[in-house]
Amino acid sequence: MMVAALAILGPLVAAALILVIRRGAAALALGGAAVGVGAALVTLARVAAGGRYAATLPGLPGLPLRLAVDPLAAVLAATVAVVSLLVLVYAVGYMAREADQVRFYAGMAGFSAAMQGLVLADDWLLLLACWELIALASYLLIGFWFDRPGAREPATRAFLTTRAADYGLYLGIFALVAATGTTAIGPSLGARGGVATVAGLLLTLAALGKAGQVPFHGWLQDAMAGPTPVSALLHSATLVAAGAILLLRVAPLLPGTVLLVIGLAGGLTVLLTGLTALAQGDLKRLLAASTSSQLGFMLLAVGAGSPGAAIAHLVAHAAMKGALFLGAGVFQHARGSTVFAALAGVGRAHRRVYAGFALAGLALVGVPPLAGFWSKDAILAATFASPHRAALAPLAILGTALTGAYVARALRLLWHGTGRDEPVVGLAPMGAALAGLAALAATLGAAFRPLQDLLGVTLPEGTVAPVVGLVAAAAGLALGWGVPAGRFPAPARAWAAAGFRLGDGLGGLAVTPTLALALALDGLDRRLDGAVRGVGRGALAAAAAARAVDTGAYAAIGGVGWASLALARATRRTDERGIDRLIAALVRATRDLGARVRRLQTGLVHRQLALAAGGALLLLAFLVVGGLLAGG
Amino acid sequence: MAVRLVAVALCGLAAVWFGIRVFRTRSMVRSALALLFAMAALGGLFLALEAEFLGVLQLMMMATEMAVMAIFMVMYMMDPGGLGQMEMTHQKRLARGAGALGGLGAAALAVGLALGGGWGPISAAAPSPAAQNHDLGIELMERSMMIFETAGVTILVAMVAATAVALGRRR
Amino acid sequence: MITLTVALLIGAALFGIGLYGALSQTNLVMIMMGIELMLGAALVNLVAFWRFLHPDVYAGQMFFLIVMTVMALEMAVGFGVATARFRAAGSVEMEEAAELQG
Repeated sequence: MMVAALAILGPLVAAALILVIRRGAAALALGGAAVGVGAALVTLARVAAGGRYAATLPGLPGLPLRLAVDPLAAVLAATVAVVSLLVLVYAVGYMAREADQVRFYAGMAGFSAAMQGLVLADDWLLLLACWELIALASYLLIGFWFDRPGAREPATRAFLTTRAADYGLYLGIFALVAATGTTAIGPSLGARGGVATVAGLLLTLAALGKAGQVPFHGWLQDAMAGPTPVSALLHSATLVAAGAILLLRVAPLLPGTVLLVIGLAGGLTVLLTGLTALAQGDLKRLLAASTSSQLGFMLLAVGAGSPGAAIAHLVAHAAMKGALFLGAGVFQHARGSTVFAALAGVGRAHRRVYAGFALAGLALVGVPPLAGFWSKDAILAATFASPHRAALAPLAILGTALTGAYVARALRLLWHGTGRDEPVVGLAPMGAALAGLAALAATLGAAFRPLQDLLGVTLPEGTVAPVVGLVAAAAGLALGWGVPAGRFPAPARAWAAAGFRLGDGLGGLAVTPTLALALALDGLDRRLDGAVRGVGRGALAAAAAARAVDTGAYAAIGGVGWASLALARATRRTDERGIDRLIAALVRATRDLGARVRRLQTGLVHRQLALAAGGALLLLAFLVVGGLLAGG
Repeated sequence: MAVRLVAVALCGLAAVWFGIRVFRTRSMVRSALALLFAMAALGGLFLALEAEFLGVLQLMMMATEMAVMAIFMVMYMMDPGGLGQMEMTHQKRLARGAGALGGLGAAALAVGLALGGGWGPISAAAPSPAAQNHDLGIELMERSMMIFETAGVTILVAMVAATAVALGRRR
Repeated sequence: MITLTVALLIGAALFGIGLYGALSQTNLVMIMMGIELMLGAALVNLVAFWRFLHPDVYAGQMFFLIVMTVMALEMAVGFGVATARFRAAGSVEMEEAAELQG
């Protein structure tokens, strides 16, 4: 299990190291991807030999996180790992002139780790977490050049559209967990009856959103604003395939009605997006429409009751579409644009790249013995064999024809004409990666029989299907190569090029309301912040007021103190000048009086006698008068 | 009654006259003698008032005292005979005023009280001298013994003090 | 009544004379004579009051004796002082005896 876990851990550790060390981002990412590839291939070998692994990690209380390696998971992990490595090699050349390498490689490595986690997840929580993480990585990587005009809005639209579709995933998971009482995926697939139908429909909704099917196909077109390695890895091989992977995982659950719905949705997508691809004026947008279309094929296969055909097509498509995008990236660097008008004749200037591109394109169409022939063959056979062949088979045949048409159109437009070439930097790694993926696109057909045995599924075979497929493919190729686009009415072409968008499409349903809500919440948050600041300011004002009061009180107390001191001084002055003087005056007066009285003390007897006589007379007078008054 | 009044008046006037003479003469001896006669007149007055014992006592005591005084006067006076013309008085106005005030005040009091409310019942007769002596002796020895004794001690003290003062320092 | 009044008047006169003399004389002996006269006046009053108001109460006579005693004592001590004074100052003129001044 540890080896399998390295498939996740390799890219994850690489992403962490890139973010921490911030140097040698490309080397670290390649290292992580290499570790991941080694681990995935070893695990595939082991699983092919019969090994099955499982692991339980502690998660929330009562809700552990489970990993499981079964044949399907091993095959998918190997696909993701190989395509990641080749695209990263390509990116070394494509992003050579880019300034912010750290952010790019960290995002790519992080995405790889999350995708592997989704593939290896065995319980709904981990799957849900990884589902969201890859959406986040997609948002960050689509909007990589966020400072360029027209780069942010597509990322927001893509993110919000898939998130709106993810309601289905959440509700479906809730239904399944509530019905079966466990978050493990295996047991929950045992649900039957109404729960199965409802859950199946909800999960289908999520898968349609993630895979860019009708009616969610708009976001994939807009996602082409990101760098081409991003388009190659995320929006062709892996992320959009997650929708199909989800349906493949829950295939045992789905009742017949749900399968029909899936098939019809897939078929409709094949048709509509095939027409869109035919009308596109931009190479990458053509390839995006093609991706939706091919994924529609996979859903057709699931709807027809053959998951095996879907798996085969998924693996083949990863290589084919990856190669196509890598070639488109080289052309983009050569001409500085992805518009067909600018790309005229670039094939002739870069013939080897054009050869790889053409190889992958023909594989996509279903030209034997390339990989696409076998997988498309299997899908056609499945639709012929299904109970609903009346609805599904025509869609599949038309889809095959359309595939041929738009691939031929693209090849024609790239070959004919002239334009101004710019020197391409980093052609060597780009070319090497393209060669690798093109080789895989050519040779994977040989692996389908072992794949069948490994997965325990059968790829439908028949004789009618291959023939019908070849005829349709040839008709389409001829149509595409021979009939120029000017033959179609312009309004129809414009509408088709816009992806048959009604009004603003899902923008009005999902994107605009969400952004409006986000804006309103931001306003609320600002007001709350303002209120908090106001409280803070109020507190500061209160503190200032308290301080003023305190200063005033201090001044008052000081004033009281001064007043007291002044009073004390006044009292002292009063005491010293007033009372002391008074007492001194009293003393002086007493002394003076004493001195004066002392003069009486003449020492002369007659004077004393006179005084004595006077005093005695007074006394007598008092006595007599008193006696008279008392007696009288 | 009238006889007594006349006797009292005569003796009294004699005493007053001689008292005045004491201070109007320059001669010391004559002053002493005048005082003697004044005191004698007073003794006679007491006799006239039927206080025989007291009158005799007065006469005896005053006679002796005046004699002693005369001796001292001659001893200490600069001009005992009054032959010099030196002025021997001072603060005359004050003295006259005080004397007049005192005398007239007492007189006014006496007359006023007599005229006003009377002194109360006047006893007509006095006890006989023998009875007086007897009763005075009883009084002295019984009720006023304390006073007597105090007076005795006081006399002793005065004698000692006078002697001590008069002796002066021993050389 | 009249006799009493007369006796009292005599006493008053004597008192006035005695006071005049005590205050106006310079010689100590003369002053003492004045005092003698005053005491004599007191004696007169005493006897008169005894005789006419309370002849059966001998406290009056007792008082007389005390006054008499006081006269004698006064004379004795006074002459002692005069002696000492004469020895110290050479005369008994009270005009000059200002040593106790202040």
